[in-house]
Amino acid sequence: MMYDTLIIGSGPAGLTAAIYASRAGLQYAVIEREPMGTGQIAYTERVDNYPGFYGIDGFSLGEKLREHAETLGTAFLEHEVTGLKSVQNGWQILTAAGDVLESRTVICASGASPKRLEISGESEWTGRGVSYCALCDGAFFTGKRVAVIGGGNTALSDALYLAKLAEKVYLIHRRDVFRADHALIEQAAHTDNIELVLQAIPVEIQGTDSVTALIVSRNGNKHLIPADGVFVAVGSVPNTAYVREIAELDSIGYIIAPESGETSAKGLFAAGDIRTKQVRQVVTATADGANAIASVQAYIQKAAAV
Amino acid sequence: MPLKIGKAEFAEAVEQSELPVLADFYSDSCIPCKRMSPVLSQLESDYAEKLKIVKINTNFEKELTEQFQIQAAPTLILFDKGKEIARIRGAAKKEEIIALIEQANKE
Repeated sequence: MMYDTLIIGSGPAGLTAAIYASRAGLQYAVIEREPMGTGQIAYTERVDNYPGFYGIDGFSLGEKLREHAETLGTAFLEHEVTGLKSVQNGWQILTAAGDVLESRTVICASGASPKRLEISGESEWTGRGVSYCALCDGAFFTGKRVAVIGGGNTALSDALYLAKLAEKVYLIHRRDVFRADHALIEQAAHTDNIELVLQAIPVEIQGTDSVTALIVSRNGNKHLIPADGVFVAVGSVPNTAYVREIAELDSIGYIIAPESGETSAKGLFAAGDIRTKQVRQVVTATADGANAIASVQAYIQKAAAV
Repeated sequence: MPLKIGKAEFAEAVEQSELPVLADFYSDSCIPCKRMSPVLSQLESDYAEKLKIVKINTNFEKELTEQFQIQAAPTLILFDKGKEIARIRGAAKKEEIIALIEQANKE
């Protein structure tokens, strides 16, 4: 079957693209790696900046978006995409299981994944004190000491969530100012059991049966921070390995694309966190989904006219 | 739907079970746990003759959580005659869980 467009990813960008594709009467489907996934937003405890849904938890917001797309008849195909191949009249999408799907256009909305620290002890202690999901694992550290590493919204939100459970939260950041929203920084500053450790670079995670300490470097000196858990929130890396040879990426790996979603490859569009942009939030991801479908329609009409 | 068990049922459901038991230590706030739930239900019926699957809520079962040193949700532990024989920390794909189950049936 030749689709008009296949949408890779079922986060807010992909789900909104599905909603717009349905309304545009396109032959389309959403390809997702994780069954019933809704992207990174599911892992956010509370979303205060998506208009109309003040205070909603990220999982519920994701479910609402998914229900919306499902109500409009969206088909979800479970595949891990490993590569794309340009063919006459469109694209072939190659999957980990060896399947090949065909579509006239492709929308890359596969978002980003949590970045790792790449320091000694990180891999060894993952699942035994090192975590990338405060919501998932926070409760195991009730009454214990934890370190949260990072300076963005995720790190600050994680620290605030963990402060409700843990006895003590060390918030470790390599710079002296946070990138996070002012409201979150203020909240953290007024939370008694959060201690800020700034201008500190994590260098090692130590443990015996599980994590016991984080070693940081400050002004060239090493310091030991006693911690039973280390929560890593140092940003994300775009999931663009499958388009590396196909579309132009920036130095970090984001697909270079303007608001229209058009990439350097014909018939290939990018939406959501995966593309170069100023603000990576649900509100801009959903907008990208809508724009990408408008671009797909224009592309298909233009191709038909030739 | 896999049976939810606690400390009180653990001996009978896991330690004294004739069949190997896959225990899913999950938490209410854990999204990967929610996503894995339908996968485990499916595997429970696929492997009904070979394996039992139980769910343990780490938010309430503190003693079992401590006893098995769970620090990541979900954690899947495979028991045979009450003895731990394998463990997956963090979310697992269906294929990984199947590989774990197949391993248990070989041993």
